[in-house]
Order: sequence, then structure tokens, then C-alpha cells
Amino acid sequence: MTTTDTATIRNKLRQFIAETFFIGEGSDDLADADSFMENGVIDSTGILELTSFLEERFEITVEDDDMIPDNLDSIDNLVRYLGSKAV
Amino acid sequence: MKISDLLEHSAAAFADRTAITHGERSVTFDELWATVSTLERFLRQLPIEPGSRVAILFENSIEYLTCFFAATKAGCVVVPLDTSANPLTLRSILSDCSATLLFCQSRYQRHLAKILNESTPVKWLVTDKEIKTDFDGVTRYSLDNVIGNTGDHPEDNTPAPQERELSWTDSPNELAAIYYTSGSTGDAKGVMLSHRNLVSNTLGTVEYLGLRAEDSVMVILPFYYIYGNSLLLTHIACGGRLVVDNRFLYPEVILDTMEKEQVTGLSGVPSNFVILLNKSTFKTRRFEHLRYFTQAGGAMAPKTIQQLMDAFPEKEIWIMYGQTEASPRASYLPPDKLKDKLGSIGIAVPDVTLSIVNDSGAPVESGQTGQILISGPNVMLGYWNQPEETATVLHEGGLLTGDLARQDKDGFFHIVGRKKEIIKTGGNRVSAKEVEECLLRFDNILEASVFGVPDELLGEAIKAVVVLKKNAQANAKQIQDHCKTQLALHKAPKHIVFTESLPKLESGKINKQALVNNRS
Repeated sequence: MTTTDTATIRNKLRQFIAETFFIGEGSDDLADADSFMENGVIDSTGILELTSFLEERFEITVEDDDMIPDNLDSIDNLVRYLGSKAV
Repeated sequence: MKISDLLEHSAAAFADRTAITHGERSVTFDELWATVSTLERFLRQLPIEPGSRVAILFENSIEYLTCFFAATKAGCVVVPLDTSANPLTLRSILSDCSATLLFCQSRYQRHLAKILNESTPVKWLVTDKEIKTDFDGVTRYSLDNVIGNTGDHPEDNTPAPQERELSWTDSPNELAAIYYTSGSTGDAKGVMLSHRNLVSNTLGTVEYLGLRAEDSVMVILPFYYIYGNSLLLTHIACGGRLVVDNRFLYPEVILDTMEKEQVTGLSGVPSNFVILLNKSTFKTRRFEHLRYFTQAGGAMAPKTIQQLMDAFPEKEIWIMYGQTEASPRASYLPPDKLKDKLGSIGIAVPDVTLSIVNDSGAPVESGQTGQILISGPNVMLGYWNQPEETATVLHEGGLLTGDLARQDKDGFFHIVGRKKEIIKTGGNRVSAKEVEECLLRFDNILEASVFGVPDELLGEAIKAVVVLKKNAQANAKQIQDHCKTQLALHKAPKHIVFTESLPKLESGKINKQALVNNRS
């Protein structure tokens, strides 16, 4: 990924997280490295919404064993994970 | 026998066995008993009257168990709090039950400024770690200091635990705990459970599940939730092990923990099993040590039960039914009847009677549909400070559940519907009225009707049909956000449908049944 691509992906992810899991303006407090789990951003059904979004928007398949915190638990982790999927 | 006696018994009978594992930490029954006794002594030094309410805002952890048993051992009434609730709800609950002491995990300290306002009844705040913020009229302590650095050597000061005869018949009707849950009228209700309620239901559940000291359960349900509390008490009572992992968000992590810790049981609500079966490597793993699954917290779709049976034909699958008001377990379907009685909630748990009654409270004829009435030592004392609400559900010592069912010729119960306007979503009870009232507080909404619709993941999902005021505009996201600011997150409607008008009955009331029937 180029720097521009990464920035675009990061913005798309942040927009999705803000629109789907936050109420109003609260998402600005979430840093890219912050854990969704530790900060109570997403629950167990929300994680399915997140993976559906990744699959549809970035045309990837999130394998069952990909569903681990290292891949999905922050915006930074998501960007890295999408990079590994050659997005 | 009180609920803390269950721990004392196991501390004597199974001293060196592990009571709880959380991450890399494990604690034996003996160690847990010593820590609980130290914290109990601290509580007794405070001017807290017996029967005072002590609230716990901790995620599942060794500390939760310590606070829970220390408070009950000190004669206090525990009030477990939903860690996902918003601060306003928490404040309202603390005020309702006049809790004088709050155990709070420091990760929730961001809520404290809103919870501990000038009118709070809380006088003592005990956090796991030292926090810096002061609150007017509230004295702060930290568990680290109380348990860890008191100079108190528990082994020197704690009387040796005694083995007990595990029996509920001598358990007092004294209030032990209050669990807050949604009622059909919308306001949260405090379900009052006595030592007798909890001990009897715990021992009955241990008996029918055949739990023993060699068992260990994977705990993914929160202890503040009555089903999670049942896991806690049953495994403490039988000398088994609680394996805590709060990361169900990532199912693979839980599955790895199950294998690593060689658990013998997994307990969940329908959405847990749907996620595991459809979005994890669950089915490909064999879990050599696993003996059973238990499921409660709302009806699980027969399709999901069948998937679970197909994936793990050699494991026991226990389908169970209950309510917070029943401490919670009322019935279970024995695994050997699962195929023949798929969809049934089974038979009554030991010492409990289920009957089907009509609107007058009289038993219906065999095979007829009526409301489930639960009778037995597990039936709650009532709702805290709500005698009128209590009177609507307690009938001659039995509990009117609001669930409509029939009993088949073999004596098995089958739920066919619900009398009350309660939606069971993701293991939570949600009052349709509470959500409707919240929607009507949104400026642009003229009318709203809320009900549950089938949902594979949640059991039921909340659907709202709304009519906007003339020339007003709003989208679903804005309405959902409004609900999320005023209600617990799981109470926000998943589906919002806009319409020009709502169908009405001759009385002028909204014809909700017509909306439910028209599921387009």
C-alpha cells in the first residue's frame, strides 16, 4: 500500500466505526491504536458488522481464524490486517 | 446455609483445588476464602448495618468473586451492576437501592463523576487500584491496600473453613442479592433474591447437570447477569473451576482458552452459539475434555441446536429455561431427550414445580395453553420497593412468568408465546414500552410502536415502526443514536421502519398485533 492508500483506508475505517458504533461526536476520542475491546466500542454482534463491512467494502474474505485482536482490535490493527490481505 | 457457606464448604473440602482462573492468574479455594475473609473483616470495621446494599461494578475477575463473597459473608446485600450500562442508569440503580458502598473496577472510573453526584447514597468507594479523584462525602479505599498491604496475614486470622452439609432447607429467607432487570412497564426492577432462593437453585442445578469438582466451565457470560451468577455459584458449590475470559468479542481467543484450560463445560446464550457455529473455527475443534454445553437466556432456534448436535454429537447439550425472578433456573431438557423434544424447555428442575394456569391462576386442562407458573424455593422475594409490581407476578407463592406454554403428554413444557410485552434480545430482557417512551421523547416522532422480530443471532431483534411529525425529518441513525444516549445500547432498535400512520383498534390504541403480523 502507498501512504495515500493507507490514509484513505484509515479514513474509511474511522468513518465506519464512527457511524456504526458511536453516538454523536464521541469517536474523536478514540486513537488509532486504541483497543475496541478495552474501550467498550464494539460488542460481540458489532464485530460481525465490522467483518461484514470489511468483506463488502474491501472485497476480502475474513477467515474464521482471522478473527483475533491482532487483526481487528484497533484501527491500526485493521489497517495492518487489510495490508496483509493485499488491499 | 447462606451463599458464602457454599464457598466455605469448598474451601474446606477442596482447599487446594483451583476455584478460578483468569488469564495467567489462578486462585485456590483456600486462597479465595482467606482473601474473602480479610475483605469481610474490613467491611465489618466500617459502620455498615447488616442488610446494607453493596454494589459491585467489576467485570468478571478474581476480584469480583472476592467482593461478592466478602459482602455476603459480612451480612450485606450484593447488587451486581451491568458494566455496559450508562452512568445515568447506574446512578439511578444506586439511588433506588440506597447502596452505601460501591466496589468499582478502576477501568470504570470515567463513570464515577456522573455516578457519585451530591445526592449519591454511596459513602464508601473501594476500587481495585488506587485512583486519584475525590468525591464529596465519599471515602475511598483500594483493594490493593485492603487485601494486599494491611499487614494482616489471613492465614493467622481466618478461622479454618468448615465443611457443610449442602442443603437449602435451613437457608434463611433473608435478602442476599438484588439483580436489576427490565420489566414490562419500562423501569428497571430490582429482583430480590434470598439466600434460600440462590442456595436451593444452585444445588438443584448442580444436581441435574451432575457437576463435580473435576468440572471447569468456560465463563463468557458476565457474573452480574443472573445466568453468569448461576455459573459462579454452581461451580463454587461443587468445588469446580471457573475459567474466566472476557474477550468473547474474538471467539478464537475463547476457543484457544477452552483448549488450553481443558474446560469441561461451556455455557452461553443463543447469540454466543450462533457466533461460534457460524463465525469461528468452533466446529473444527474437538475439545477432548469438554463434557457439556448449557444454553439459556431465550429460545435458541432449533436450526442452531441441530447445528450444535451435528458438530458435537458426543457432547451433552442442555437446553434450559428460567428467569431472574426464579434465581434463575426453572426447567431443563435432558440431553437424551433433545432429539425427541427439540424446541421444548423440558421439565422442572429439582424442588421446583411448573404448572400451566389460566388468567384466573387456575390450572388449565392437560395440553391446553396457559401461562407458566413457577413454584418452589427459587421464587424471588419480590421487586425492591415495588409492592404493586410484585403483586402482579407473585400468585399464591408462585411466580407468573408471562410466558405462554403447553405441557405435552410426556410432561415436557413447550413455550408458544409471551403474555407480556417483553423482547428477549441477545439474552437481555427489554421492555417494548420503555423503548416506545424513549422514541416519543425524540422531537420529530409523532407515534411509535416497538416489538420483537425473529433474528438468527439475537433470538429476537428490536423493531420500531415510527410515524414522523408533519414536515419533520429524521433518519434511522439519528433515532438509534437518540435511543443509545438514553437507554442501554442493547435496547436501541435494530430495525426502524417509517410509515405514514399506525393501525388502530376501535379503542384508539395502536394495533400492535397487526404490525407484528405484517413483517414486511
